[in-house]
Amino acid sequence: MRHQIYLAILLPLLGFLFNGLLGRKIKNEKIVGAIGSGAIGLAFLVVLVSFFETVALPAEQRALIVPLFSWLKVGLLEINIGYQVDQLSLVMAMVVTGIGFVIHIYSIGYMHGDKGFWRFFTYLNLFIFAMMNLILADNFVLLFLGWEGVGLCSYLLIGFWYDRKFEKSTTSDAAKKAFVVNRIGDFGFLIGMFFIYLNFNSLNFTEVFSRAGVLSGIPESTFNIIALCLFIGATGKSAQIPLFVWLPDAMAGPTPVSALIHAATMVTAGVYMVARCSILFASAPLALTVVAVIGLATAFFAATIGLVQNDIKKVLAYSTVSQLGYMFLALGMGAFTAGIFHVVTHAFFKALLFLGAGSVIHGMHEEQNIQHYGGLKKYMPVTQRTFLIAAIAIAGIPPFAGFFSKDEILWKAFSHGGFFFWFIGAVTAMFTAFYMFRLYILTFEGKPRFDSAHVHPHESPKLMTIPLMILAVLSIVGGFIGLPHVLAGEHGNLLENWLEPVFKVADARLLRSAESSGSLEVLFMVLSVCIAAVSIYFARRVYLNKPAIADKAAGTFSGLYRTLLNKYYVDEAYDAAVVTPILKTSRTVLWKFTDVKIIDGLVNSTASLFTGLGERMRKLQTGVAQFYAVLMIAGIALALFWLISIIN
Amino acid sequence: MDLYLILFYFFAIITLVSAFFVVTTRNVIYAAFNLMLTLFGVAGFYVLLGADFIAIVQLIVYVGGILILLIFGVMLTNKITDTDIKSGFLNRVPGLLIVGTFAGILIGTLLKSTWRIAAPLPPPVAGLVGIGNLLMTEYTLIFEILGAVLLIALIGAASIARKQSN
Amino acid sequence: MIPVQDLFASAPLLIIGGSILIALILEMVFDSQSSIVAWFSGSALLFTAYWSLYHLYDRGFAFNNMISISGRTQLLFFIVNFAAAVVVMFSMDYIKKIQTNYGEFYILLLSAVLGMMLIAAARDMVIVFIGLEQMSICFYVLAGFRRKNIKSNESAIKYFLLGSFATGFIVYGMALLYGASQTFSIPEYLAHVETLKSNPIFLLGSLLFVIGFTFKIAAVPFHMWVPDVYQGAPTNVTAFMSTAGKVSGFAALITFLSPFIDYSARTTGSAKFFMPFLATLSVLSMLYGAIVALSQSDVKRMLAYSSIAHAGYMLIGLSALSYEGVDGVLFYLVAYTLMNLGAFGIISILETQDEKMLKIEDFAGLSSRSPLLAAFLAVFLFALAGLPPFAGFFGKYFVFVSAVENGMTWLAIVGVISSVISVYFYLRIIVLMYFSKGENTEVVSVPKSALLGVFVVFIMFVIMSAFPQKFEGIIHTIGLLTY
Repeated sequence: MRHQIYLAILLPLLGFLFNGLLGRKIKNEKIVGAIGSGAIGLAFLVVLVSFFETVALPAEQRALIVPLFSWLKVGLLEINIGYQVDQLSLVMAMVVTGIGFVIHIYSIGYMHGDKGFWRFFTYLNLFIFAMMNLILADNFVLLFLGWEGVGLCSYLLIGFWYDRKFEKSTTSDAAKKAFVVNRIGDFGFLIGMFFIYLNFNSLNFTEVFSRAGVLSGIPESTFNIIALCLFIGATGKSAQIPLFVWLPDAMAGPTPVSALIHAATMVTAGVYMVARCSILFASAPLALTVVAVIGLATAFFAATIGLVQNDIKKVLAYSTVSQLGYMFLALGMGAFTAGIFHVVTHAFFKALLFLGAGSVIHGMHEEQNIQHYGGLKKYMPVTQRTFLIAAIAIAGIPPFAGFFSKDEILWKAFSHGGFFFWFIGAVTAMFTAFYMFRLYILTFEGKPRFDSAHVHPHESPKLMTIPLMILAVLSIVGGFIGLPHVLAGEHGNLLENWLEPVFKVADARLLRSAESSGSLEVLFMVLSVCIAAVSIYFARRVYLNKPAIADKAAGTFSGLYRTLLNKYYVDEAYDAAVVTPILKTSRTVLWKFTDVKIIDGLVNSTASLFTGLGERMRKLQTGVAQFYAVLMIAGIALALFWLISIIN
Repeated sequence: MDLYLILFYFFAIITLVSAFFVVTTRNVIYAAFNLMLTLFGVAGFYVLLGADFIAIVQLIVYVGGILILLIFGVMLTNKITDTDIKSGFLNRVPGLLIVGTFAGILIGTLLKSTWRIAAPLPPPVAGLVGIGNLLMTEYTLIFEILGAVLLIALIGAASIARKQSN
Repeated sequence: MIPVQDLFASAPLLIIGGSILIALILEMVFDSQSSIVAWFSGSALLFTAYWSLYHLYDRGFAFNNMISISGRTQLLFFIVNFAAAVVVMFSMDYIKKIQTNYGEFYILLLSAVLGMMLIAAARDMVIVFIGLEQMSICFYVLAGFRRKNIKSNESAIKYFLLGSFATGFIVYGMALLYGASQTFSIPEYLAHVETLKSNPIFLLGSLLFVIGFTFKIAAVPFHMWVPDVYQGAPTNVTAFMSTAGKVSGFAALITFLSPFIDYSARTTGSAKFFMPFLATLSVLSMLYGAIVALSQSDVKRMLAYSSIAHAGYMLIGLSALSYEGVDGVLFYLVAYTLMNLGAFGIISILETQDEKMLKIEDFAGLSSRSPLLAAFLAVFLFALAGLPPFAGFFGKYFVFVSAVENGMTWLAIVGVISSVISVYFYLRIIVLMYFSKGENTEVVSVPKSALLGVFVVFIMFVIMSAFPQKFEGIIHTIGLLTY
């Protein structure tokens, strides 16, 4: 199957084509859902078989490139369509198709009765297709195509309910925001690719990385520029400071989309890309530091915002941003394995949290404010239990999945970055445990705060709860693939051993070896478990026993509270610093200057300049045939004049 | 001055002057009659060049056929005696300027370039027989596709003229 | 006697020529409401398209070297026949919708194709000219096919007047060329190009001839007829003129300019005589087309300006006057034909009897009225905008590369700038279709044959986008066979 890995890409495409072309005619949700999910399920099987085949091979034969055909060849530039099957891409592919399959199943239940049912599955399959291209690509161009493809699907799915209101505006505006912010990131990525081509004369992973692997006189500054440009791309896709603003708004889309795209898979594309380019980043110390600092800052700030949000999906969105920050912290520390490990475990529990939230929203008639929940435990027991498992996992209580991956990151932060990195990371972990249990308690525990006369919460159908259970199991046991050395014994860290060949060169460049960890690591582990436990205890005490404390605290620190509630006013700041000036300039200067009517709201200042020019030039088109003829003669006369002047 | 040159200038003047009137006169009928003179002058050139067959065709087809058709068209579409059909001018000054420049540049180029006067042309194919032979041998393709062009012109004309229902 | 191999070689011409006659008879015999003529013409065109694809790698001349059937000719045969066949599919319901269901529509279409094929095959200036006349006469009539419609009439008259005007220059140019060289044969020009190039009369004639054809491909400043004609003509005719018509214009230019194209080395100098002229036209067309399209409110008019801009991009490849450039132009032509056919085809489906759905605002909310058409249109518009990974992008890429390799990086930069500008007006429609709510919520009824046409174009287009390298390889190989 390894050599037929393209099947895993083709199947979602077929599902997309089938549902896209015939979905509207079929109208039968069962068929559309079965085709959509089946395609992904089969793709998952293909990946799984390939995985086991790869495991059976000796380590040095595991990496494989499956070339399909030459796509473009002009001059030196040669772009092939080819897929890379190696340890890293297989792990990612399993996560994407596996979680994707589960979420597809869940969506059959969640989207039941929606008039855009077939459209939803069409987009979802297209998304998996694009994501698989991104992950399995063996060159930067194909990766970028996948990168753009997932962006397009994300855009389509955020705006899926284009006729619904979202907060103050519409889902289309949220989609547009995601689109625009991501374009900024993509621009950085493109420039990065351009520099890579300039310096390595290739865009093929194997060639670029092998050339970067042998130090061949390319200065460190070049690596820094390349790595930083790529990282700008990653900040866009993976919602890091300063480009994280789109992700909370992306929650306008249906909840399974939030789970699949905006939590488990697409947003981790940035992490994957950095890990894939590990050698480039390892050669760029400055860029690596930037990655670590941005990651840490994002983790911290997003966690603080998450403390006070009241929309269930918003809390989870900021939590996602924060967890992505952890991943980048790990990458910045040069601990690429730890980053990928957290991608995997995070995919499990965050998908679970979102699906659980979707189940709650489903049962509560589209209510999303957690202040209007409470005591849902007895109405939706399965959702409650699985949600609790996920919350424990993300809070970092052993032996749940989140504990191992987060702890590994914190430990790497300490051993490679120093006490400061560890400390902020640990505080963030504390916040994480707090807001997660705040969310859990306000939703499921305590007394109902909803109008029980009109709202009748109910458990979701089996199609939705079974995926929850699957993910719950994964959230419990998922962490064992990456047990720390201290606990793992003779087998060591499975994931680290598995991924070791991929990051070998980068590790060597960073002078990292598989270090032995001692009693200090155990101490830190105990410490972080204590922090999480204390944090959970406080959350429970405040929100279950004495809700007044929370209000009082909000009153005492009203300034801070409001700052957090308004997300540090980042959106407002961007509006004031970037959006408004552009709009103002265009309105006061350009509009009056060119005196044109603006056709729609999308038009920005440059466009209005050109439309103004167009309006002027359009006047040439008088409609009088004689005038046209005169202009032609004028053109011919000029051409003849040129001819005479060059003949002599 | 030999007779050949005198005849050449005679036809040239006829052609040019009448062409000038075709363009400038505001009366369509006058323009049509002047066009007849122009075409006649061109036929004269053909005779001078030794292409007597083409000269005859020019006279029969253009002067005898097309032009008469043109005049018929004008007369049938308008009560010619009551109102003059006038054609106006647009953008007279810029038009004149641009066309003047164009003409100037053309004449300039032609004057400056060296014409191959010395190279003797191959003896012209004599008469109708020669032309007929060429058309059916070397230039069959052209002959055939000209037929297609004429056919499609007919179909096009019929299509324009046919009555379209509402 | 005409040699048999000449007849075999020119089979595509004979098939189409014969089809015209048969179609005439069919039109006469059968009831005017029957669509037998349409089916017949469509099949004839598809068969010819298939025939030329099958004989893609043939070589040879026919009729005293007046036409060549080798190399690019077959590809051009294929494009025009394919385009015409698709237009037939679009037209079957469209001409009923606009109440001009007359059989001669298809006869005129076939005749136009015959003219285009003559232009594509010609190795003799007289054939080029006659082919051009054949095509143009059909276009004049077709543009005014909707005789009850004043805009259609205006379009026909304008096209006729300005077209004849341009033809005048072509004939004048040809006269000068003959005066300078005493031949109309392109291979002769090719053989004696060094001596001819020092003759001002020859150059003057060439320039006038080329200008006549830049009128046909709608390059600025010889583009003035395009917006009025494209807008006024029935949409299916516009689809045909803007694609196959442009292909023929470029075919004639490529054929005629071949003596000036440097096949051996990338030298500059006298070999590149036409370079600055074509580059200027290219810059003007790209920028003018892109900028003026921004302020259009009618879709057909907008696409007319867009086609002016595309002529500009193709002229980049031509002005490089290099082998790669010509390959790039051919690639671009095929891609452009497909995407423009698709876009106009969809517009012709959407257009209502009372000429609604032609304003850009009318496309608001189309995605909910007809998701399939909206999706197809979105792809074609993305492609016209030149966004990867569609074939439109590769077309641009190939011509830009040829410009850079011939030391005209600035031209490629202007091309990129103009592409960026043009993204706006294509995306505007997509944004409207997907993210606005229209007043009209009526579900679009899609005629089957037209949908099939769109679908065929779409499939071809996807294949081309997926394997641009293979296509470029084929074009390169047949280019080598041409001379």
